[in-house]
Amino acid sequence: MKPLRILWSCFLAITIFMVGMQPAQAFCGFYVAKADTNLYNQASQVIISRDGERTVLTMANDYQGEVKDFALVVPVPVILKEEQVHVGNPKILSRLDSFSAPRLVEYFDSNPCEIRAFDEDIMFKTAPQAASMESGLRQERSLGVTIEEQFTVGEYDILILSAKESDGLETWLTHNGYKIPPGAKEILQPYIRQNMKFFVAKVNLTEYDQQGFKKLRPISIAYESPKYMLPIRLGMVNAKQEQDLIVYLLSPQGQTELTNYRTVKVPSDRDIPEFVKAEFKNFYTSMFQKSYERENKQVAFLEYAWDMGSCDPCSAEPLNREELKQAGVFWLNSSSRNLRSPRNNVFITRLHVRYTGDKFPEDLKFQATGNRQLFQGRYVIRHPYTGEMNCSAANEYKRSVRDRQEREVQTLASLTGWNINDIRNKVEFVESQPIPWWRTLWNQ
Amino acid sequence: MKDIYTLARSPKILDDARIYQILFLSFFLCLGIGTRDWTLRPDLIAVVIVSCLLVQWCLSALVEYAKKKNDHICLTNNTQLSIENIFNPKVISSLQSALITALGLCLLLRGNNYTTMAIASCLAIASKFLFRFHNKHFFNPANFGIISALILTNDAWVSPGQWGTNWWYLLLFAGMGGIVLKKVGRWDTSVAFLLSYASLEAMRNFWLGWGWEVWQHQFMSGSLLLFALFMLTDPRSIPNATISRLIWAVSIAVVTFILQDYFYLSTAIFWALFVISPLTILFDRAWSAPRFTWKRMLVVRD
Repeated sequence: MKPLRILWSCFLAITIFMVGMQPAQAFCGFYVAKADTNLYNQASQVIISRDGERTVLTMANDYQGEVKDFALVVPVPVILKEEQVHVGNPKILSRLDSFSAPRLVEYFDSNPCEIRAFDEDIMFKTAPQAASMESGLRQERSLGVTIEEQFTVGEYDILILSAKESDGLETWLTHNGYKIPPGAKEILQPYIRQNMKFFVAKVNLTEYDQQGFKKLRPISIAYESPKYMLPIRLGMVNAKQEQDLIVYLLSPQGQTELTNYRTVKVPSDRDIPEFVKAEFKNFYTSMFQKSYERENKQVAFLEYAWDMGSCDPCSAEPLNREELKQAGVFWLNSSSRNLRSPRNNVFITRLHVRYTGDKFPEDLKFQATGNRQLFQGRYVIRHPYTGEMNCSAANEYKRSVRDRQEREVQTLASLTGWNINDIRNKVEFVESQPIPWWRTLWNQ
Repeated sequence: MKDIYTLARSPKILDDARIYQILFLSFFLCLGIGTRDWTLRPDLIAVVIVSCLLVQWCLSALVEYAKKKNDHICLTNNTQLSIENIFNPKVISSLQSALITALGLCLLLRGNNYTTMAIASCLAIASKFLFRFHNKHFFNPANFGIISALILTNDAWVSPGQWGTNWWYLLLFAGMGGIVLKKVGRWDTSVAFLLSYASLEAMRNFWLGWGWEVWQHQFMSGSLLLFALFMLTDPRSIPNATISRLIWAVSIAVVTFILQDYFYLSTAIFWALFVISPLTILFDRAWSAPRFTWKRMLVVRD
């Protein structure tokens, strides 16, 4: 028998079950093998553009298994019609990612023997990764489950289900080829009781083959609801490991924060040794893990908060109007009645949430705030001047560089938890000759 | 032998619960800035404190002046009267309350601009003088300031998640809150609020099918405890009689629950307190009890 395979993943921290027709033991195991190819092994990416109660939610998709096995189930606050669902361009997520990613900046020291030289800024960026999904299902009605809407958008066949009881929904999904992991029933129940609907998507193979895309594209949904939340509990049903979620929150006002968890800034603006340039991703993941543990694993990290009209320094070009529209920004150029919200303004907040079932017992709840303080994860490398130096200031300069290098080593050790001696071995310390103590006494 | 009935024991400074409140709130503010990664700006804190104190000083001096003018209608030396009022001990002592309001605003309200913080501070203090019934103000000043800023400006916000859910902070709030509440004798209000809100949420969680860990997470919120212990129990503005305080606290819990879970308002507790506050007048009419004063003047017999 062809084994049934289900991916119940957490794609959108939102509960997304990856469901399929194959062996059941693979729940959430799909991402495990990717640990060495991606920065985070179970990362999901979501864009939420919201102004007032109007919301556009985009779920990224880096599912790499058989497309016929892909299925996804997401609780949504309202019934969605065909025109409210859109299949977008996957590039938009990588654009947002590179625009907002934590960045490494390098500066070159000038020759201390020259009066003036110019600093040069070069930037590198890290690129945390996206998520995925998959599907397969047949339709059937029974057990208190109602198919509210049914349509095909792009390569996806989509159903909007409402249910009266989780037993009925579970049976319905099972009958229709969705293998639901044990424990899902208890998690589904609260969503049903809150009168939420279920967005169920699978890939329409005919459409998929015709369109010739290699990868599944992100799905965007547009709706109006006072609920500003992201359901993450379904995605945790079978996941024992920590999962990474990166949420890009776009608002006309300012920063968006969580209301039921703390939002904490990642350490930023730190000087670190030169060798980190070659292993920046490694540095960032270690530093993130250390910060995550220091905060007792129960906070969301702010990685970037900026007005999207500019950036300084830029790790990527700011998004143009068309790209912002693709990201779900709908308020540009609109003549809104709400005079309080400044038009033509997009503020991005990038939150990085690493969650487990025990530390994040509730779904994520957000609120938009008027906070326009800018923040970026930024790490600085300062290259010492290595050319010839023929002046009395040179020795003094070398000593200051050596002190600086030592400070950088200590900063790196405390940020990442790496062994300080290993770090010292990797640093090329500047040779400096000790200055005789009497020289400073008589100004020789 | 000392004269009977007339000797009032001069109040010791530590008899005044406001001193404890000022110390504890300042401590929380330092703790928040030092350990909780808040985006608090020192200049905005200064604006809040200065505007609260100034408005309090001006308005209470004005009130004292008006009172005395009524008492000595024929008195002609107005200049002397006004200077006396500015440094009247009653006026100076009222600055402590203004400082408590200012610290409450600094802890809870966030904004980008000076004007936002100044509007919140001025209206918070002014509400004490404007909304009075039988010489008692019925809005909690800091709460009034927060709601005014949320309504009137577009850059004010409150961060309910700012304290997180650490046991350590909860114990600290509970301990310090307990000391203040014991001093002012209003612990019943906090307990009634917390119990009724907790029961409502527990029932909802049970009905939804969520586990206890969700309920526990909701109640370990430092912001909720701080609100229940330090804002809800302002003895000057809440009902005087115990029974009315209990009903009042339960009503706030019910309104908070509805606004939070059915209208998805993240600032539900502040709105609930704001909406229920005017009912203090009705409660005080229905159940009368002596009004609270900060300093108890004890009559001594010898």
